Amino acid sequence: MLRFTARRLLFAVPTLLAVMTMVFVLVRIVPGDPAQTILGDQASAEALQIMRERLGLDRPIWEQYLEFMGGVFTGDWGQSMVTGKPVLDEILRVLPYTVELTIASLVIGSLIGIPLGAWSALHRNQWIDYLTRVGSLLGLSFPAFVSAILLLIAFSIQLRWFPVISGGGRATFSEWALSLALPAINLGLIMAAYITRVTRSSMLGSLGEDYIRTARAKGVPMRVIVWRHAMRNALIPVVTVVGLYLGILIGNSVLTEIVFNRPGLGKLIVGALGQRDYTLLQGLMVIYTFVIVVVNLMTDLTYGLIDPRVKYQ
Amino acid sequence: MKLTRLTAGLALASGVALGALTAPQALAGPDTNILNVGIAAPDAGRLDPHLSATTIDKAVFGWMFNGLVRFKPGTASPETIEPDLAESWTASDDGLVWTFNLRKGVQCHHGYGELTAEDVVYSLNRAADKERSSFSSDFGVFASVEAPDTHTVKITLKNPVPSLLGLVTNYHGGNVVCKKAAEEMGADFQKRPIGTGPFMFGEYTPQQSLKLVANPDYFRGKPALAGINYQYIPSDSARDLAFQSGELDMVYGKQDQTWAERTKKMDGAVVHVMEPAEMSVMYLNMASAPLDDIRVRRAIAMATNRDQFMEFKGRDVTRVANSPVPQGYLGHADMSEVFPGYDLAGAKALLAEAGHPDGITLKVIHTALPGMLGTMEVFQAQMAEAGIKLDIEVVEHATFHAQIRKDLSQVVHYSAARFPVADTYLTQFYHSASTVNTPTGITNFAHCAVADAEIEAARVEQDPAKQKALWKTAQEKIAAELCGVPIYENLQIWATRDNVDLGYDLIGSLTLGPPVTETTQFRK
Repeated sequence: MLRFTARRLLFAVPTLLAVMTMVFVLVRIVPGDPAQTILGDQASAEALQIMRERLGLDRPIWEQYLEFMGGVFTGDWGQSMVTGKPVLDEILRVLPYTVELTIASLVIGSLIGIPLGAWSALHRNQWIDYLTRVGSLLGLSFPAFVSAILLLIAFSIQLRWFPVISGGGRATFSEWALSLALPAINLGLIMAAYITRVTRSSMLGSLGEDYIRTARAKGVPMRVIVWRHAMRNALIPVVTVVGLYLGILIGNSVLTEIVFNRPGLGKLIVGALGQRDYTLLQGLMVIYTFVIVVVNLMTDLTYGLIDPRVKYQ
Repeated sequence: MKLTRLTAGLALASGVALGALTAPQALAGPDTNILNVGIAAPDAGRLDPHLSATTIDKAVFGWMFNGLVRFKPGTASPETIEPDLAESWTASDDGLVWTFNLRKGVQCHHGYGELTAEDVVYSLNRAADKERSSFSSDFGVFASVEAPDTHTVKITLKNPVPSLLGLVTNYHGGNVVCKKAAEEMGADFQKRPIGTGPFMFGEYTPQQSLKLVANPDYFRGKPALAGINYQYIPSDSARDLAFQSGELDMVYGKQDQTWAERTKKMDGAVVHVMEPAEMSVMYLNMASAPLDDIRVRRAIAMATNRDQFMEFKGRDVTRVANSPVPQGYLGHADMSEVFPGYDLAGAKALLAEAGHPDGITLKVIHTALPGMLGTMEVFQAQMAEAGIKLDIEVVEHATFHAQIRKDLSQVVHYSAARFPVADTYLTQFYHSASTVNTPTGITNFAHCAVADAEIEAARVEQDPAKQKALWKTAQEKIAAELCGVPIYENLQIWATRDNVDLGYDLIGSLTLGPPVTETTQFRK
């Protein structure tokens, strides 16, 4: 398993290199001048030139490229072009916010999705099944920013349970929970929709297997059949989907972070894109790629936990 | 794995989390005596008044810094300039030597000591240094800045300028920073900017907020507010909802009629519409055919229906533009008579006369910013009626800014507010030296060059009446040449809760945000 992990991480290196090169080229192909965004539209051509020199944008492109690639591996990710702060600091500052949001919504999604999916499968073609399927379809097709605003209107304006500006406060536990709750519910509901659908179809598959019939014939209690026999086997596709959709979750977290005004990678990347902050964008893309690689690896490793037959070589 | 146990554990954990949600709401402004302000931006820029010129940061600088002189709070007209750090000033007859007498006992924030002439000299030199300032070109006319004694500042100019006082107001490079702090911190000054204003730097949380605290030693008296919490909220809906829920006491508004109307109807909300206006102009690139023909440009002007724009943008937040220089600027002259009125048949006839009976097609690059794009779409429809087809390529905002500066768009829709003296607008948009795609280029998209002589002469003219006359001639020439078609002027919009007493009448603010002064307070 250790060798498997090491090999998988090694495979990630060329992926990272390719992404870094692409990102480096892409952010520079897009028209727009970081110096102009920093100095504003009244800046003279001379002031812009000085700013470009200060940012190192006047140097040959290959020189900038080598410096960037070298920097990533030596831990020097450069400084944000707009704020002048080290890129790595900026990213590490907000990374915990995104991680906790992702985990919280994953937990909410699984808590709702897995039981609901199983329940739906057990009551196939009954009204509860139809209701679940319609509900999850609704969850899948709802844009994250719309549901976010609806949640704000309901819980912050009407009921006044949560502040509108959650701001990611974390001084006390209640402040932390208050700021995390709505964004996590927003993403969690979307996640729940995905998980419900996969769990349902996967459960239907395993409930139709011969060993289930055998277990029933032997008089095994229904509770044990469902949870120990059917569910364990149905979970593998669910884990795969959860792993895959973590990517989608990160994408949706961009919108969620903006609407709830929560710090995080998503908010950072949108700001960096608008301001053409090349260095920050590059750093963020490296992190995103790395996160996806790690999530995929963790998904593969989870298979072994669920199904002892899975061997890593 | 025991799934049931796992599920139970998770359920328990979330139960604990939910239990915590009964915690009390964040305190609203009046309870804490802190003014909560929401701005439409993801984050601050560089928090150094000599570096950043963005709308987001300018308002804050206005609360933290002083100039030698200032615009009377709530106004944005150079005619209301009054003493700030300087108690009085004199100018030599030729307008080249200016002497300012400083107020005594002004304290720099956070114990950096009394402000003296040395600080002012340092600050103005810093603002003039292109390595440390974005406004260095404004100060190119300074020959020297000296401190004859601790409370006197002498500025000597190379040649007279249209508004020396304008350069030393609490705006852009005129903001005075404290020397000791700036030297001590160097490039880190933006992490803890030190000035002399009513509010001083408290704490900055990236992408979240900038907290300012009241300056107890402020020379006009201790502020009534305890502090300001300036919050960066890029999402329009989140900002509006936070204002509605009372979490924000003051909020940046959208320059949009529906926003103004909706917010006015909100309980306890006051909408402020203020100067300076941002003027929307369609600049016509006269270096490109067929716009090099004045008859074509005239046809475009005749096909423009300004009334329709007013209906579209809303009369509460916009007014018709009538000159190459926005209204309210020192030296503005109404050119309604010079610009051709709306006349669709005339426009078609003129196009035919210019050899385009079947109409023309113009290439336009435009930003995707919704507020601006809507205007361009109305313009496109109006032009189409006269047989002028606009081929619009919609690009992202930063791309737009880069491409229009490379001469790639035949019609450039630009919306801007500048320092309210005719010279700034005339120089940046209509002087040949500012032509885009040249080394000295700024924002002369039209390649306009008809009024260089008047613009330059007015810059050094000492007699205000003659100066105004020169500016008027410049505007006449530019309007007659049709370097651009001014459409409308969009005013700045903010909203406050009705328990906020700004302490002055808000007519305008050059920093584009309402000043928060020592008298601003919550009504009991």
